[in-house]
Amino acid sequence: MDNAIPAALDSVRPRLLRLRLLWAILSLGIWSGSFAAPALAKEPAAPGGPAEDTVSFVNDVMPWLTKANCNSGGCHAKAGGGQNGFQLSLLGFEPQDDYASIVREARGRRIVRAAPEESLILKKASGGIPHGGGVRLVRGSAGYDTILRWIQQGATDSLPSEPELVSLEVQPNGEVVEMGGERQLTALATYSDGTVRDVTELALYESNQEAMAEVTDDGRVSIQRLPGRVAVMARFQGKVAVFTASVPLGAPVEDLPEPVNFIDEHVFANLRQIGIPPSPVCDDPTFLRRVTIDIAGRLPTAEEAKAFLADTAPDRRDQVIERLLRSPNYADYFANKWTPLLKNRRDDASDITSNFAFHAWLRDSLLANVPYDQLVRELLAATGTVVENPPVAWYKRVKDPKEQLEDITQLFLGVRMQCAQCHHHPFERWSQDDYYSMAAFFSRIGRKPTGVRGEDLIFHDRGPATAVNVKSGEALPPAALGDDVGTITPDEDPRLRLADWMGSPENPYFAKALVNRYWKHFFSRGLIEPEDDIRDTNPPTNPELLAALEAHFIESGFDLKELVRVITRSRTYQLSSIPNEKNWVDRQNYSRFYLRRLQAEVMLDSIDDLTGANTNFANLPAETRAIALPDNSYTKSSPFLQVFGRPEAASVCECERVQSSSLAQSLHLINSADIKNKLATAGGRAAELSAAEMTPEEKIHALYLAAFSRPPLPEELETAVAYLNEPLLDASGKPLAPEAAEKQSFQDLIWALMNTKEFLFNH
Amino acid sequence: MKFKIALRLAFSAALLGSVPAVQAQSVCLPSPRLLTTMPMGGQVGTTVEITITGEHLEGAEELRFSNPALVAKPKLDDKGAVVPNVYVVTIGADCPLGIHEARLMTRLGLSSSRVFNVGALPETTRDRSNTSLETAYPIALDSVCNAVMTKQGIDYYRFEAEQGQRVVIDCAAMGIESKLKPVLIVADEKGADLQVERRGGAIDFTAPSSGAYVIKVHDLTYNGGPHYFYRLAIRTAEGDALVPPFPAVQTVSSFSWPPPGLAAAAPLSEAEPNNEQAEAQPITLPCDIAGSFFPAADVDVFEFTAKKGEVWWIEVASERLGLATDPAIVVQHVSGSGAEEKLTDVVELSDIPSPVKVSSNGYSYDGPPYNAGSTDILGKLEIQQDGVHRLQIRDLFGGTRKDPRNIYRLVIRKAAPDFAVVGWALHMNLRNGDRNALSKPVALRGGATMALEVVVVRRDGFDGEIELLMENLPAGVTASGLKIPAGASRGIMLVTAAEDAPRGVSNATFLGRATINGETVTRPGRIASMQWPVPNAWSEIPNPRLLIDVPVSVSGTELAPITVEPAEDKLWEVAAGEKLAIPLSLTRRSEFSGANINFKTYGAGFEGAPAFDVPLGAEISIVNLDLAALKTPPGEYVIAFYGSAVTKYKQNPEAEPQDIADIVVSEPITIRVKPAE
Repeated sequence: MDNAIPAALDSVRPRLLRLRLLWAILSLGIWSGSFAAPALAKEPAAPGGPAEDTVSFVNDVMPWLTKANCNSGGCHAKAGGGQNGFQLSLLGFEPQDDYASIVREARGRRIVRAAPEESLILKKASGGIPHGGGVRLVRGSAGYDTILRWIQQGATDSLPSEPELVSLEVQPNGEVVEMGGERQLTALATYSDGTVRDVTELALYESNQEAMAEVTDDGRVSIQRLPGRVAVMARFQGKVAVFTASVPLGAPVEDLPEPVNFIDEHVFANLRQIGIPPSPVCDDPTFLRRVTIDIAGRLPTAEEAKAFLADTAPDRRDQVIERLLRSPNYADYFANKWTPLLKNRRDDASDITSNFAFHAWLRDSLLANVPYDQLVRELLAATGTVVENPPVAWYKRVKDPKEQLEDITQLFLGVRMQCAQCHHHPFERWSQDDYYSMAAFFSRIGRKPTGVRGEDLIFHDRGPATAVNVKSGEALPPAALGDDVGTITPDEDPRLRLADWMGSPENPYFAKALVNRYWKHFFSRGLIEPEDDIRDTNPPTNPELLAALEAHFIESGFDLKELVRVITRSRTYQLSSIPNEKNWVDRQNYSRFYLRRLQAEVMLDSIDDLTGANTNFANLPAETRAIALPDNSYTKSSPFLQVFGRPEAASVCECERVQSSSLAQSLHLINSADIKNKLATAGGRAAELSAAEMTPEEKIHALYLAAFSRPPLPEELETAVAYLNEPLLDASGKPLAPEAAEKQSFQDLIWALMNTKEFLFNH
Repeated sequence: MKFKIALRLAFSAALLGSVPAVQAQSVCLPSPRLLTTMPMGGQVGTTVEITITGEHLEGAEELRFSNPALVAKPKLDDKGAVVPNVYVVTIGADCPLGIHEARLMTRLGLSSSRVFNVGALPETTRDRSNTSLETAYPIALDSVCNAVMTKQGIDYYRFEAEQGQRVVIDCAAMGIESKLKPVLIVADEKGADLQVERRGGAIDFTAPSSGAYVIKVHDLTYNGGPHYFYRLAIRTAEGDALVPPFPAVQTVSSFSWPPPGLAAAAPLSEAEPNNEQAEAQPITLPCDIAGSFFPAADVDVFEFTAKKGEVWWIEVASERLGLATDPAIVVQHVSGSGAEEKLTDVVELSDIPSPVKVSSNGYSYDGPPYNAGSTDILGKLEIQQDGVHRLQIRDLFGGTRKDPRNIYRLVIRKAAPDFAVVGWALHMNLRNGDRNALSKPVALRGGATMALEVVVVRRDGFDGEIELLMENLPAGVTASGLKIPAGASRGIMLVTAAEDAPRGVSNATFLGRATINGETVTRPGRIASMQWPVPNAWSEIPNPRLLIDVPVSVSGTELAPITVEPAEDKLWEVAAGEKLAIPLSLTRRSEFSGANINFKTYGAGFEGAPAFDVPLGAEISIVNLDLAALKTPPGEYVIAFYGSAVTKYKQNPEAEPQDIADIVVSEPITIRVKPAE
């Protein structure tokens, strides 16, 4: 199969040689490429592909240019003129433009019909003359020869009658592949005349997880040593196809927890299928700490931990979830998740009112558990002034209709449309028409200035909603990612129709994007990664689970709290983070809880809670927690929040939040004045414990409950008591007074606990 | 030189976005301003002790109210001495419930006003800090608590409710001129939030169980201080009974509502469902309908028949009722039926534009900082062809909002030409980049002329000229209206106190008068004022409102720094196309910075006159008006000259002089332009 194309080429070579000679003679006095085309077009097409004898510009030449990377974004498809004045469309999506660039521009020097091998395009690509991009098509290679033949045949443009590419298929499209196994993919292109052509050599390949599977330029997939599901995308001329490999670990799976809901059923079914034994369900202290962090963005208080550990009710975990969902911390924490994505950004001091109002609107809506579709509708179709209707603030920060559509689709639909503004989306089906049809929903947004600089009031500006495709010049009515939303009268705000479409139970993106985003919140990894890049070519790791979550969310009436409830009640969420002998390699099957560093705000609050300190934030009451900060201005003013990666609210991507660890973070925790001051806070925990009428053991017990939501282990207790009993000397070597020494010792002890992974991570 | 340096400093500071307080004093002569009262109201039929604060209130002797049922006396201590800034207010049993104006009579005249609320519920005043759950202040059901917000703080209150008991918690703030943008939260006993309201509305709360609950109040951006006052009310309510919101001050835009003679209540109501064309509610013209923009994205469609050539006027009130709405109307002609039905636009109506350009929020004023326009509707419907028509009304701000309180009143009538006027103290740039928005009571120094800028909203095609009048003025005060010419939107009202005008105050009447359809029509006008003395509209958005009344007062002790008047008190006559020389007399009672005043001219027929300089040192200065260039037709005119000057103002003879730039307006000058000879 690998040799199919070279064999076919061999069969036509003698005839091509003759044609080349003939064309060289004819070309002596003729520069018009169209002259010879009809004669060549009469050559019969070889079976199994369109026009195999006649080299087609679109079907033969362009794929080679794409394969050779000539029309990639970094080379001749670079925005703003390509390279050295030679501009090609990205990935060949605009063949008409490319034909003109190659054949007509540069005074025709790129193509020399009289002496095809002297054509600039071939000499540069083959390294015959210096080329910034290096050798892309070796002289004599299939790609080189194809282009050479095309020039020899007159370098004609494709004819409308030529078969068009209809679809791409990859074989096999899904298989179980053992670790270390390999598969050769075959890419088959189907044309409008029914012919099927093997384009394995011409297609481009990309793995969605390099760590799980690598793929060569010619479609050979090598599975690595990680179990799970991995996808390899094949792309050929705007069509894509996917090969999905299920990679089993193959270990026996015997002790699965009893499933409590559909999440467990789907996760455990997958674990059974690929043979990954899960870790056991975590203990109560771990659960309490984990779920409190994930729902309420804080550590459990010592009192909460004590009460929970004493609780013997069988449903005590469910009760905790309910209590946390009712708490204002839930609303604060999830508002903190959403507001940066909605760009609640302080660019000017006068933004404070709109930023506070917007944050508060979101926070209050979450507290009141406003259904998600309603929340999005209020944002999407906001009108009025910021103070009267805070979601209007989004339109203050996102003024360009194109940015509006891009943000909305990426954030709420998981669809990245940015590429389609200028060209067909390379990994997706979105065209420029789709892009501008989406933009049309935002085309009737009226603005009037208000007393606040830079702050407009928003209204529906009556009139027909359209947006002009800058490429075709056509004014397009609104359509939602290709879906017809019906005729929108000039009286109707098109954004409301878009909100209707988004909130429809049939919408294939809206619920999926949200449940995937929330799944990632609790499990560190989305079922689709990145969480806002949902496309056919980026399949979920557990499609059945994603579909079930989506259905559950829709059936619940887009109830966000119910989604959190069903996730956190699952045994899957409650699995231990401690790996067993088999599942330590697992990164995507949720066979254990994946460790996650506390995010910046939660960590700051936790340190404040542990030390008894308080961080003051400008304009806010003293008791304000970091998870309740309304906008990014507090990141700028807080070295702690900066170093631990609080986002700047500049994009709709959650990736703006930096969750990785760094040396600066360690140094900050170990040695910063900020932390030292917190440890030494007057009336703080160290001072309180040292002055308390309790035994050292009781004090350490209380401290461990506050830090880890669990009592100390015997050896921990022993070590801590020993440390407390060690005499402390001052700078001159004299022993410190007992009170001062104990206070200092507790500061040290708190510092030590604070710097443990158990404290810094959700586990 | 000193002024130039100050000017440079002010300019630099403006560029840096902050203006030191000292510079805030360098525009506008001191005016007395009542800024706070604590409490801000009281229960009808009771006596309340209130403490006031303000600026330039020296010599305050009397607290006056806009309603005579409110009477204040200074509080006396045990020894019979007056306790400064404290008054005992008796609220008569016959005092109307609602808001009234409170003002202080001071050395400089009657102060700007502050709202005083009279309600039916018992009232308390918070008398201690309550910024934590532990210190929550108890508030009884069916009572009002007056308080001031703590900066960067949250005020806590505690109340008891029975399971299932419905209470409505409301916080009057912006509606009573407070700078507070209130956030109301009902929380459980431990302080965990249950319900939140941040848009100035009330919380309708039904207690899930018997026990204590907590109310938290804070500012949207956690601002606070004496100017962030509020009245917290907690009212019990039975069943679905409607609990009316606190009364509130009126926006400037509402001066043009209602049209004269309109019934208090509309005789007709919209009847849902009427959202779709097929569900159009039949009406006959003329009509007067009450409706609501509810639920979200509500559209009300009405259907009527009309004949080609008919002219109707459509007026909608909603924003002018104090609501954050933006009504829009489309009237379409209907032809065909069923699937063949065709709708043709006849008219699209939205917004009552401001009669004059309102200042943008740019570097300096490019218009008045008052908007007399509205997002409501006032427009003409001309029927183009016989037949069925449909009118759709919707709220352009209502796509996602679900609030049945967003009501409207729709009136369709035959032309009833009329007008409404509103005036406010003139604002102009007093230095480079100046955007002061100080509240300016009509408190006159002897020899001063104060200009009020007056604009008109014209109804139903009325295009005639409008005379402006003021009556019932204090002794020694005269008013002269520079009329609003036919087709124009702006006039000026000049209020002048004679140099020897005695100290006094009166509740004046402000009127517009016009001839409509051959009859003289007089309409009471309204006066608007800034709620706060905003020194810099860049850092604080000015917030004007309508006043209930029109008080005019005279200081009697302080004189204007300068009086500019014609040298002779006479009717000046000139033939059309000729030149008129008017000698201006300058009476200076203060030192000034700079050598000249640069004057421009107010008054129809003369506003095109070029600006001219008058030397501040001259006793008499001649102004030449070239009627040939002005092309002023024969008739009688009243004009005035206006400009600004920097006075070296002294608060008292011993005080250090302070440079203050302020508006200088001449006394009115009456000119008769005779036909050319």
